[in-house]
Amino acid sequence: MHRKATLLLLIGLMLCSFSVHAKLSVFTCEPEWKALAEQIGGDQVSVFSATTAQQDPHHIQARPSLIAKLRRADLLVCTGAELEAGWLPLLLRRARNAKVQPGREGHLMVADHLSLMEKPTRLDRSEGDVHAQGNPHFHLDPRRVLKAAEVLAARLTRIDAENSKSYQERLAGFQQQWNEAIPRWEASAASLHGKSVVVHHREWIYLLDWLGMKRLAALEPKPGVPPSAGHLVGLQSALKENPALAIIRAMKDDSGPSEWLAKRTGVPAVSLPYTVGSTEHADSLQALFDEIVKQLVELKK
Amino acid sequence: MNWEALDITILGPAFLTGVVVLATHVPLGRKVLERGIIFLDLAVAQMAGLGVIAAHSLGIDAEGAGVQIAAFATAIIGAFALYWIEERWAEVQEAIIGSAFVLAATAAILLLANDPQGGEHLKELLVGQILWSDYSSLGMPIIVSLSVLIAWFVLKAQRNAAAFYGLFAISITVAVQMVGVYLVFASLIIPALGSRSFPEKSKLPAAYGIGAAGYGIGLVLSALLDLPAGPAIVWMLAIVAGTAVFINSQVNQDFE
Repeated sequence: MHRKATLLLLIGLMLCSFSVHAKLSVFTCEPEWKALAEQIGGDQVSVFSATTAQQDPHHIQARPSLIAKLRRADLLVCTGAELEAGWLPLLLRRARNAKVQPGREGHLMVADHLSLMEKPTRLDRSEGDVHAQGNPHFHLDPRRVLKAAEVLAARLTRIDAENSKSYQERLAGFQQQWNEAIPRWEASAASLHGKSVVVHHREWIYLLDWLGMKRLAALEPKPGVPPSAGHLVGLQSALKENPALAIIRAMKDDSGPSEWLAKRTGVPAVSLPYTVGSTEHADSLQALFDEIVKQLVELKK
Repeated sequence: MNWEALDITILGPAFLTGVVVLATHVPLGRKVLERGIIFLDLAVAQMAGLGVIAAHSLGIDAEGAGVQIAAFATAIIGAFALYWIEERWAEVQEAIIGSAFVLAATAAILLLANDPQGGEHLKELLVGQILWSDYSSLGMPIIVSLSVLIAWFVLKAQRNAAAFYGLFAISITVAVQMVGVYLVFASLIIPALGSRSFPEKSKLPAAYGIGAAGYGIGLVLSALLDLPAGPAIVWMLAIVAGTAVFINSQVNQDFE
C-alpha cells in the first residue's frame, strides 16, 4: 500500500515536471491574435492560427489538423462578436476539449472585453452580415490592440501562473512600444484628419475612427453582400458631388468593384494590408500599422 | 507531414459518414450508369440543396425538421418530374436533366443574392463539410440508409423504375447535406465506373471496396497533408478506381 502511494506520488511529480517544461499551446482564430500571443507569450507559448492573412475569417474549410490542434490547445484566442460563428462552434464541438469550451479560462473572445462600434439597433438578416455585438474588425484600431494585449496577458497569467512574471514583463514592453508608436502614427497621419474614403467591406471603421477620417460609403450595399451594378452607379454620382481621398479595400476583397469605380471617377483605389501577414512588410502588428499609415499618407501627397 | 491529425477520433466519424453514404450510393450508382442518366444525381442533389436554401431564406431554423422536409420535398418532386419525363420524352431526358441542374443551381444563387453568407452557403453545398459530422448526428442517416438498402435488395425495388427514383431522391437528400454535391456524385459514379470491368459477381463488392478505400485514403491524406477533406476524398476515389481498372485489365490479360 505504502509503495503504491509512493509510486503514485512519483508519477504525479513526473507529470508536473512535464507540464512545467511543456509550452502552453495557444490556438488563435486569426493571424492578428497569433502575432499578439507570440509577442506576449514569447518562449512560453506555441501558437497556431486557424486562418491565414489570405483567408476570410468568416469562413473556413474543415481540415483534420484544425480539430487536432484545438484538441491539444490550452488557450483559444478569437475575435468573437460572431465573426467566427460559422465554424468555431462546430470546431469546438468536434474537438471536445473541455479547457477551451465557452465559460472556461481557456476560452478568450477578445470582443467580450472591449467596446465595439456599430452595434446594431435592430437585428435583422435583411440588414446583411451584421453582428449583434457590433463590428468585429476592431484589431485595426491600435488603441484596442493595446487593450487586447492587456486582456491576453491577464488571461495567460491566470492559466499559467508559473510564468506570470515573464508575461507581465513582455506586456510592459509591448505597452511601452505601443505608447510610443500610437502618437507617432497619429502625428504622421494628421493630414488625413477629416478626409473621407469609400470602403469595400465595413472592416475599416475602427481605423477611420482612430485617424478621424470619414466613411463616405461602402461598396457592399449591406455588409457581406457583393456590390450590385445599381449600387455602384449610385456611388459613381455620389463621388462626383463629394470627391473622396481613395477607395479602400483589403487584399482579400474582390478588386473588380473598386477598380471599376476608380476608373470612372478618378478616385484612386488602394488595397491595404488587413492583418499581420497580408503583405511582406506587415509581418508584425506594429509593422501592419506602419504599412497602413504609410500607404494612406502617400495618397495625400 | 502532420501526424497529430491522424487520429481515429477525428477521422472516424467522417469515415463512418462515408460508409453510410457509400452503402446506398454504390448500388444506386450502378443503376444510374446502367440507365445512362449520369447527371440525374447532380440535378437531384442540387434540388435537395435548393430546398435547404429555400428553407433558409424563408427563415426556417437550420437545425429543425422544417429544413429536412423542404429538402426531401424538392428532391422527390424533382426526381418524379424527371421520371415522368423519362416515360414521355426519353430521347431528350439527358438534356432536360442537365437543364434542371442548371435551373436548380441558379435558383439557389438568385435566392441567396441578398444573403451575406450566400456565397459560402453555395460552396458548402458543393464541397460539404464531412469533417464536422460526429457519431451522434449519424443516427438518422444510418436508419435511412438501412431502409433504402432493405427496399433495394430485399423488396427488389431495383426492378421498379418509380421506386428507383424515389429511393434515389431520399438517399441523395440525406447524403448531400452531410458530404456535399461533389462527394455525392463521386460516391455514386466513380465506384460503379471502377468496377465495370470486373466479373458480374464481384462487381458490387469491388465497387464497395473502391469506395471505402477512396474515403479512407482520402481522409488520411487530408490529415497528413492538411488539405480540405471533401476534395481530397473525391480525388482518392478517382485514383483508387483508376488503379482498380488498371490492375483488373492486367489480370485479365494474364488469363488470355
